Amino acid sequence: MAQQLVNGLMLGSIYVLVAVSLTLSIGILNFLNFSIPGLFMLGGVLTWLMIKLGFAWPLAAITALLAVCVAALVVERFTYRWMKGSDPEVPLVSSLGFLILFENLMLVAVGSDQQAFPQVFADFNLRIGGLLLGGPQLISLVLSIVLVVMISWVLRKTRYGRQVRAIAEDPETAGILGIDLQRIVPLVFIASGLLAAIGGVLFAFNYLQVSPFMGEEVGLKGISAMIVGGMGNIWGAIAGGLLIGVTEVFSIYFLGSDFVDIVVYGVLLVLLILRPGGLFGRVEQREKL
Amino acid sequence: MSGYLEGVLVLLSINVILAYAAALPLSAGQLNLGIAGFMAIGAYASAFLTNEIALSMWLAIPAGAAAAGVVALAVGLPILRTHGIYLALATFSLGEIIKAVFLNLDVVGGASGYAVFDYAGPMAVWLTAIGVVVFMLILSQTRFFLYLTAIKNDATVADLFGLNTRNLQLAALTLGAVIAGIGGGVYAHHFSFVEAQYFNAHLNIFIVLFVLLGGVQTVYGPLFGALFFTAVPELLRFSDEWRFVLFAALIIIAMAWRSEGVITAKLLRAPWRGKTPEGARP
Amino acid sequence: MSAVLRVEAISKAFGGLKVIQDVSFDVEEHGRIALIGPNGAGKTTIFNLISGVYSVDFGQIFIGDRDITTVPSRKRIDFGVARSFQNVRLMQHLTVLENLLLGQAHVTSSLANLLTPFRFRKNHPWQRAAMAALEGAGLADYAQATVQELPYGARKRVDLVRATLAKPRVLMLDEPAAGLNPAESDALLADLQRLSETGVSLLVVEHDMAFVQAFCDRVVVLNFGSKIAEGTMADIQADPQVREAYLGEAGNSQDAA
Repeated sequence: MAQQLVNGLMLGSIYVLVAVSLTLSIGILNFLNFSIPGLFMLGGVLTWLMIKLGFAWPLAAITALLAVCVAALVVERFTYRWMKGSDPEVPLVSSLGFLILFENLMLVAVGSDQQAFPQVFADFNLRIGGLLLGGPQLISLVLSIVLVVMISWVLRKTRYGRQVRAIAEDPETAGILGIDLQRIVPLVFIASGLLAAIGGVLFAFNYLQVSPFMGEEVGLKGISAMIVGGMGNIWGAIAGGLLIGVTEVFSIYFLGSDFVDIVVYGVLLVLLILRPGGLFGRVEQREKL
Repeated sequence: MSGYLEGVLVLLSINVILAYAAALPLSAGQLNLGIAGFMAIGAYASAFLTNEIALSMWLAIPAGAAAAGVVALAVGLPILRTHGIYLALATFSLGEIIKAVFLNLDVVGGASGYAVFDYAGPMAVWLTAIGVVVFMLILSQTRFFLYLTAIKNDATVADLFGLNTRNLQLAALTLGAVIAGIGGGVYAHHFSFVEAQYFNAHLNIFIVLFVLLGGVQTVYGPLFGALFFTAVPELLRFSDEWRFVLFAALIIIAMAWRSEGVITAKLLRAPWRGKTPEGARP
Repeated sequence: MSAVLRVEAISKAFGGLKVIQDVSFDVEEHGRIALIGPNGAGKTTIFNLISGVYSVDFGQIFIGDRDITTVPSRKRIDFGVARSFQNVRLMQHLTVLENLLLGQAHVTSSLANLLTPFRFRKNHPWQRAAMAALEGAGLADYAQATVQELPYGARKRVDLVRATLAKPRVLMLDEPAAGLNPAESDALLADLQRLSETGVSLLVVEHDMAFVQAFCDRVVVLNFGSKIAEGTMADIQADPQVREAYLGEAGNSQDAA
């Protein structure tokens, strides 16, 4: 049982990175960025590609992350900037367009098969009590926590964080107050893209496989985690991610893999019906006339 | 007619049906990402009826569509407690659950799929699609359709003018599910095989993309969207492995160029359908 | 004279904050009642209570002798209660004509009407009625325009026309003259004059005292959620409580200016 809980939390920590990445984008820019699963995939696949080309793994990972920064900026340029003031569904279409674009670019580059990711760490495990903790998984869990805590600290305590929160409140007023939107908005895209890409790299190191479509399954879970937690709420995204990871692992353990989707999405559906604004979200009061 | 063209037209017809299944709730502001689930209900239920009790396909497909409608009606009230993107996730979850249930339902073949013995020819598929388009054209001229847009705009004011917003929303969700069910039934009987994996997240997302790219302001938008998503990948076949890269780029360009959807009310109004008054600027 | 709308001792609190306390007044047939008071006095809240957007905590609201206190907001229009909105809530994605068709919703409410594809016919009675109302207000040119294309003054008048198409007995107008230029304000006054003559009772929230003086025959004054005075404009001007509530504020705003 405890072992399953640990496995669930490990899996959940990957979802957390994707969910926090999405929640940054929607919380700050009110932009539901569906290209994020694509950026997640780019992180994993590009790292694999670089290692295959003979680079050492740290260098490979860093190059992949830099490439994702560029990709995130391209997304910003062609989606967010064009979409100001349109219906909220519209960015969904363009950012999904980018997801399809990234996936098919990688399809051309590496083919559709699952590629085995080399095991770069010697297999090392920790035993605590009766629990078996995989080394790379432990590292990625810790790294996820550190990254998320860092982001939340930056948002709370730094000058940048204050500017970003001002934009989240009201972009127009923030602009009038002299906050340079042209500079901050791309930074938010980069931060959010990097989180997703780090998730992809960690996924590759942990589960030892990559493919052009690896972002979809994780991306859907991450999006679900973000929404069920309450959009724009970092702690909600964390809770949602861990909840989905744990639910998934437990339902495989108790019911078998055939029923995972029924249980996971069933739990989501019930949660949404009970709390229509997400776990940590506010349900809007009847508006003022 | 060549077999190839016939096949593409069948695909187009099914896409058109699904586009309207998504467009109807969307015109009331509901982003339904579970259309494929309702399609699956229509497909499996109608196939079950033709296979197991030898019901005529012409009765089985409407019955399957009705089954999809009943499920929508049953889950509609709790699901419509959510709004916006939360509603999208709720319907998406519902679609995934429906898919997973069929995947585990051994009476209809489970994961190995379900063969369908009755066959609907291409003409039947085309006529069904034309029927759905005509139905939507008529519906778009009613108060019902007008009220859906009003609710999407401002549900509070719509309520004060006496509209039963809850029932209208439920009707939009249910009617969309019925149309999806028709699409599912036709799909099952044309391709003679149903497998649950087909009704996945991809399909759901593409159906909604048809509509948003085409535009929801007019009844012609979804038609254009379905045409775009059927024809463009075919036209891009020459580009081989780059096909979907180019396709994705076209989607991005189309939305950057016309962010309210390609077919807008303004586009259809100007210049031959009445003028905008002089000096009429906000 | 019999009252069309009777508000009896209504109170409303949000959280612990009492925003309306024990307010009563009548609106009689053909009545033109102004509801005035400083900002935050609770005028719009009264509208929201009468139209059912909020439920009252205590007290009752009558239309004729029917108690509508617990009638849901959507059904109040069946009793003849309609309103316009302070920030002009026209449907942005609809044309002007379509907004007016929405105004007819409650006079056309049956399943058959709901599903009639009447818009195939340009001269269907509903379309004609909407066009006639639009022509009556001199706005016929705007029929096919979307709301975004309308100048502000025209939007406010379309909002009014839409509300009248619901054939109300009591029409509540929330700051109808705000933001209008003098010519538009005169046109509005004429519209309301005509409307009043057809028998509709009007309850108006308005800051423009010249407008109130020109149009309304009785004034109800609110301050901090309570009624502090009621009477003709002359009565009100002489009332010491009103002078205190208003002149205090007027004095301050002059200092600020």
